[in-house]
Formats: sequence, structure tokens, C-alpha cells
Amino acid sequence: MRIDMEKCVGCGRCVSYCPVGAIQIFEQNPKKKKSKIDEDECVECGVCLRAQVCKPKAIYLPELVWPRVVRRAFSDPMVEHKETGVPGRGTEEMKTNEVTGRFKKGSWGMAVEVGRPGVGGRLEDLETIAMALAGKGIVFEPRNPVTFLFEDVKTGKLKPELRGEKVLSAIIEFEVGPDQLEGVLQSLQDVSGRVETVFSVDLISFPEEREKGPALEIAKRLGFPVYPNGKVNLGLGRILNQ
Amino acid sequence: MTHTLHRTGDIESLKEDFPMLTHVARGYNDIGAGERLRQMAEIARKYTDLNFGDCKVANQFMMRPEEIMRKHTVGWQVVFKNKKSLIACMKELKEKNIGISVVVSGLFDEVLECCKKAEINPPLVEFALGIHGNKQKLWPPEILDFVTMCGHGLVSGHLVKKMVEDIKKKKIPLKKAATELAKPCLCGAFNPHRAAKLLRKMIK
Repeated sequence: MRIDMEKCVGCGRCVSYCPVGAIQIFEQNPKKKKSKIDEDECVECGVCLRAQVCKPKAIYLPELVWPRVVRRAFSDPMVEHKETGVPGRGTEEMKTNEVTGRFKKGSWGMAVEVGRPGVGGRLEDLETIAMALAGKGIVFEPRNPVTFLFEDVKTGKLKPELRGEKVLSAIIEFEVGPDQLEGVLQSLQDVSGRVETVFSVDLISFPEEREKGPALEIAKRLGFPVYPNGKVNLGLGRILNQ
Repeated sequence: MTHTLHRTGDIESLKEDFPMLTHVARGYNDIGAGERLRQMAEIARKYTDLNFGDCKVANQFMMRPEEIMRKHTVGWQVVFKNKKSLIACMKELKEKNIGISVVVSGLFDEVLECCKKAEINPPLVEFALGIHGNKQKLWPPEILDFVTMCGHGLVSGHLVKKMVEDIKKKKIPLKKAATELAKPCLCGAFNPHRAAKLLRKMIK
């Protein structure tokens, strides 16, 4: 995002709307204040523009080119991933599983959300995590837009020009088998001290996992917190396309 | 997307926070899904008016719900503050059997109890295994409770602080501040009822 300095009246109304604190007020001269967006920090989420708090309409979206366009694709949910053909940050994952049958008993779906919650992150952090996971033999979900950012999908190595790009969040999705889960969780613990940003960890399973599944036991034993809240698929979907 | 997972807060607060979403399955039930999504949205909106949105379109604080419903693409979100309405909605969605997937988030004990009462057997769940990495960069817990109500991260912690300051200075009424915080969350997964309660707690 950009602010047209000619139009900006320096009221500062836009400042607090930025989720990553990229908008600052500065003194253009002793009598005139202006708002400015730190382009290196801006994730192109569009919140400041959509907030409609700028009376003189000084905020605008410039034309974005590769690799900066990736920021918007991963930070603004209104944008579809034109480069990858995949909409949204991730996939339908467990939300439509009763229809798609994607996850089956005997393995678990996992997601690592880099930059969430409320921090944002550089893609170099995503690469660090992805390479650690790849080292444990996981296969990245082919339909997830993050997978299209890799130069090498087997190692999790990013296209080099993307490393410095900052996004609100990006999701690494994969499945783990019973022999992989513990190693994958340990690798996430190992990498935790090597990244600049935060990441959230998700585990997709079956309702009985809460009572007798091994995955939560392993996670708890390794020191992972298991939140008392989460998502429940009601199983109301079905195949309707002819 | 996992945008209704990872909501933080104390148990009492989370007992009034049940986001519901629908999502089409591409290649399986996406053809002509707009009308089905609209029918399901009309059912859900009979039971809750707290929030409603479609992240590819807008939320009800930015656009009239009728207009959002005309533009549905892959799904919508609403939020419930009590189990009674949630159960009634679940029952009607099950009975109408429209065929698009529905996911409810919240405390597992509460949501699974609602499923039981609505005679629904959920096939799959998703657990949150915490936040990791450089946690020094996180917002403090009382602000994180607001921020995590938008899984896309569009609700700024700076805006939460600003709203708290403005309420204290009597620049904005508390309820309006809660709505202002709900606006950036395009999906409609943000719970303004819960936000108002959290704001009240913060200004004490």
C-alpha cells in the first residue's frame, strides 16, 4: 500500500488499523505532519484502504509485481492466488473432509501457520521451518499455495527472491503417519528458537482422538499445549456435482 | 485455511464464542453452490445476527447481508454467543440437508455437546497445539484475545489499544468500538459480543 503525500492531511486515523504497525506519522516540516507506510514492513493486506478512514482518499494500492505480489496473495483474503491458481492461504483441509475423504484414519493432517497470530513473518522463516519438516520426510500438500513458492518441494528450499518478503501468515500443510509424528513435533520445537516470528501448529484428527488417540498424548508428552477449543466438522456435506 | 482455530481467552469468555462456517468442496459440490450457500445463510441468520460475512466479499458491517448473500462464492461465516441458538441452527441445517459442509469452532466440550443434542455425529476435528517461535513478538494476552478472533490476522492490536483509549476518553461508545474492531475481519468470524465484554474488562 502507499500514501499519496499530496493528498495526506496527516490526521493519523489510518495508523492504528495496520495489523503490522507499518504506518507512521512524521513531520514533513515543522507545520505539517504526514502518514507514511514503511514498504518493507507492509504486507499489502489492504486493511488500511478498506477501513475507509482516510477522508482525502490518500491511501492506494499500487501495481504489485513479482516477488512483492506474494505479500498481497498471502495477506489479503480477498485475493485469489493467480500465480498458483489456488484461492485462500491454504486449502479446504478438514472443512470438507466428509465430502472429499482427504484425511483417513491412520494418519494426521498438520498445518504450521507462520506469522500467526498477529505478528506476520518473513518467508525466510517459513523456509527454515519447511526445511526442518522436509528433513523429517514429510511431503508438502501439493494444492497449498505455499508449495508453489518452493524452488525444491523435496527440501522446502524457497525461490531465493522470496526470502525477504513479509506476509501476515502463510500455512505449510502436510500429512504425518504414526512413525513420523513425534519426529515432526520435535523438529518444530527445535526450529522454534531459530525463527524471528511466531508460528501456530494445527492437528487434524477424528473426535475419538480426544479420548484415546495417540497424537495428543505424544504432543502433550513433548510439551505442546492442547487448546480446549478447536474446530468440529459437522459432516453435513455431500457430493452434489453431476 | 484454519481461520477459526487458535482463538485465545479464558474458558468463561470462550463459552460465548462459537463461529460457524460453511465451505464448498471444489470438484464435488461447487457447481451452483451460490444458491445453496444462500439458503444455508438464511437459516443461520435466523438464529444469530452477531456477525455474518464472506471473506471474498465483506462482512455485515461493510455490506448489507442480502447483498453478501447474492455474491457468495465458496462459503460464509456467522458467530453464535449461546448454545441454545447454535443447537437450533444445527438441527435445522441437518434437517434441511442442503449438502454443503459446515464447521463449528469453540470449546470442544461445548460444541460436541451441541452436536449430541442436534443428533449430529461429527466426523473430524482440528486441534490447536499452541503458538511457538519468537513469542516475545506476541501481543499481550488481553489483546491477543481480540486479535485471534480474526484468523487472517486483519484485526490490529494497535486498533484494540486505540479503541480502549478512545472509550476511556469517551470518544466512542463501547458497543461501537466493538463493531469497529469487527470491521477489518472480512469473514465475519469476529465476535463483537465477546469483544464488547472484553473491552469492558479492559477499561476497568
